[in-house]
Amino acid sequence: MNSLLLWKNPILRRELLDRLRSLRAFASILAVAIGAALLVILRWPSESTLDIVSQGAMQVFRPLAFGLAVAVMMLVPAFPATAIVRERRRGTLALLLNSPLRPTDIYFGKLLSNVFLAFVLISVSLPSLGACYAMGGLSLQSHMLPLLTILVCMALQYSAVSLWISVQAGSSDSSLRWSYAAVLILAFLSLAPSSIYGNLPGWQSAIAQKLTAISPMPALQEITGSQSATTEFATSGGWKSYVIGATITTLLFAIATIVKLDPLLLDRPRPTGKIVKNKNTVGGWARRMVYLIDPEKQKVGIPLFINPVMVKEFRTRKFGRLHWLLRLIATCGVISLFLTVITATGTVSWGVDRIAATLVLMQIALLIVLGPSLASGLIAGEVESGGWQLLRMTSMSTLRIVNGKLMSVAWTMLLILLATVPGYAVMMWIQPATIGQVQRVLISLGIATMMIVLVSACISAFCRSAAVATATSYGVLLAMFAGTFLVWLARGKPFGPIFVERVLSLNPTAAALAEIRVPGFESLNLTPISWWIGLCVSALCLLLLSIRTWHLARPD
Amino acid sequence: MSQDNEPVVQTSGLTKRYGDFTALDSLSIHVNRGEILGFIGPNGAGKTTAIKILVGLSKPTSGSARIAGVDCSQGARKIKKLVGYMPDRFGSYDNMRVREYLDFFGAAYGIPLAERQQRIREVMEISNTAYMQDKFVESLSHGMQQRVGIARTLLHNPEVLIFDEPANGLDPKARIEMRDLLLDLAARGKTLIVTSHILPELARICNTIAIVTHGKLRAFGKLDDVMRQLCPRRSYEVQLVELKDVAAAEKLLVDVLQADEVVSASQTERVLRFPTSRTEQELSGVLSRLVSAGIQVAQFREVAGDLEDAFLSVAGVGGDKASAQKSAPVAAAS
Repeated sequence: MNSLLLWKNPILRRELLDRLRSLRAFASILAVAIGAALLVILRWPSESTLDIVSQGAMQVFRPLAFGLAVAVMMLVPAFPATAIVRERRRGTLALLLNSPLRPTDIYFGKLLSNVFLAFVLISVSLPSLGACYAMGGLSLQSHMLPLLTILVCMALQYSAVSLWISVQAGSSDSSLRWSYAAVLILAFLSLAPSSIYGNLPGWQSAIAQKLTAISPMPALQEITGSQSATTEFATSGGWKSYVIGATITTLLFAIATIVKLDPLLLDRPRPTGKIVKNKNTVGGWARRMVYLIDPEKQKVGIPLFINPVMVKEFRTRKFGRLHWLLRLIATCGVISLFLTVITATGTVSWGVDRIAATLVLMQIALLIVLGPSLASGLIAGEVESGGWQLLRMTSMSTLRIVNGKLMSVAWTMLLILLATVPGYAVMMWIQPATIGQVQRVLISLGIATMMIVLVSACISAFCRSAAVATATSYGVLLAMFAGTFLVWLARGKPFGPIFVERVLSLNPTAAALAEIRVPGFESLNLTPISWWIGLCVSALCLLLLSIRTWHLARPD
Repeated sequence: MSQDNEPVVQTSGLTKRYGDFTALDSLSIHVNRGEILGFIGPNGAGKTTAIKILVGLSKPTSGSARIAGVDCSQGARKIKKLVGYMPDRFGSYDNMRVREYLDFFGAAYGIPLAERQQRIREVMEISNTAYMQDKFVESLSHGMQQRVGIARTLLHNPEVLIFDEPANGLDPKARIEMRDLLLDLAARGKTLIVTSHILPELARICNTIAIVTHGKLRAFGKLDDVMRQLCPRRSYEVQLVELKDVAAAEKLLVDVLQADEVVSASQTERVLRFPTSRTEQELSGVLSRLVSAGIQVAQFREVAGDLEDAFLSVAGVGGDKASAQKSAPVAAAS
């Protein structure tokens, strides 16, 4: 019980003070407070009549609810994702585990401090929620309390998952990227099986329905009455299903993390590396088939005509090494073909537009998860490890260094984009009229990729640590991509169609969805303006990146 | 390129200021080909600042630094080819094996592939790292990483090698290996500049030393010259045969010597020590007085001063600012 008491648990006290004093936490809280307040100010009724059918209040409540959910998704994983891995790398975890503190004290100290910060984050939106309530038509039992419960459950769930990842991860930035990927999987990918099998009889449908309980999206759709605005995933148990689902996942991840918080956690051998030389054996043949590019094979020297920095990036990154990327891309290819084939064969009653929308959404999710994680460490990682100083001492120009780094990410992202080409090809074969649409979608996604890479690389050049650069990149890109979709959610009122279209033109993925005629996006005309904006943002980021790296490479 | 009789590394009035703070104040030193310069100073003395200027990573506020005749701030590209620099941080990359690590830096220096493979073999042999070529760089011990770092600095066959704290954090065995490696490099005609806090190590390998505190050069020159300059008073030791003679010998020495020649006695060692500026003849008189007093003397000898004493004499005990500022900079000896 002492683990849960602020004045009895030194970890909880220290972590809480540490976080409350951090500028990042203050900026996040301030941004949420300002965003929530602006939304209410925009929609505050000028007439002196009570809106008993709740239309006005609901139109503010809906984006506010989704906005707060996105804020929780963006901000909550950042601290717990680095909480344990950072202590381990600094050597302070060994001190904690060697002290009389129990693993539960350490765990709850870290978990509750983060949840408390999330409380503060949510509580700054209370005046805005109160204003929604004052507009009339919303009830405490059906809207306000369920929303606050969902947000708290999200904070607990994401903190628990991020702490579990933190206990496994080898570095802060890898922990951050896996945490954000886990949040995206829990929130969105868990809905995919329901989307495919939801209307079919059988056990697959039952499991798919159960999986939706770990995502807050159906619960948020239910309390905001927005099923029509997005895809319907409402579960039979309503928002309470999510509370149960989130509680179960939180408990499971908490137990898994506490079990891991043991001195044995530090008892890891250093990977010494081994070279596999059994080229001519059956084992060697099997390895080549499994890996394609075998990480344990002795590498040949880098030819002079290839940028050595690009090769180095491919060889050294923990996440996104070539053999893993090839597997990921192969999986994407198989999924995209599978989706297209099941539609063509009539297994599910999806139209070509829905298949295309799924492919586009799958690509967007991959680009947003992979892009910042690959690009945000490009410069910051070098500066942090001391490698930048060594690179400056070589004969390579800054331009060549930056070019090598950008190309290493660009090739990877291109492979990801190409992974779904088989799916599009089958789609165009089924419906040849979609060729033009697919071309425009691919251009939009290409520009989105460029934006993601260059924004992340630009942020990386201004940060001194890869973990900070990764967290900032995810924050900025989620705000750019998910934030603009929030405005789309509030289309009609308070935001008019012109305003929505202008905001969405900042987001090339929205242009891809509009091109493929996803429901809700059919009327939007976002090309070519969104391409031009994307190109301009990318060019600006490239310019800033060049100036900053030139500055970093100059003698002090 | 410099002639053999010209200094390979030369700085003149090298000054670096960051706002009001002077990190380096008029540093003038020179190092000849094949010499090892020991660059000594407490933390924050300006050693790394000077090194960064020499390798072209920092620009001086005033003064100049030249390596093999090339100005370090103007000819940065040439300097990169002339200098191999090992900073105090190793700069490792994850998932990279030693051979891949060296291959990457070789490619970064623009060495053609075939020549690079040959060069990698050579530097691995020099630095004794061939046996670890397939190991991941991050999995190596600190001593092994330092060896790989040296192999990296040798890849492009530079004339001058600059090592920032190469022995820091090494165990005694690794330190001895490092010392031998640095001596071997000097024997191969490389010019070395080495910074270190481990002064006995430096004393064993350096021909020349430069002592810097608070950005100012306090002493510079051949090791023996600097020792003589900084420690003019020699330390003498009298080893007695009988323990009972210690008190009598101490009383006699106190009577014979001046007040500033403070005598210290160790009963357990049967030894008396005193600092002195006396000549050999005067000291033989002191010995005669001891013998004629019936004291049995086993040894009467000068104790060699060490680099630590020299360093402390200019840095002040504990390296405090006040005492260090009192000591005037020593003119560079040739």
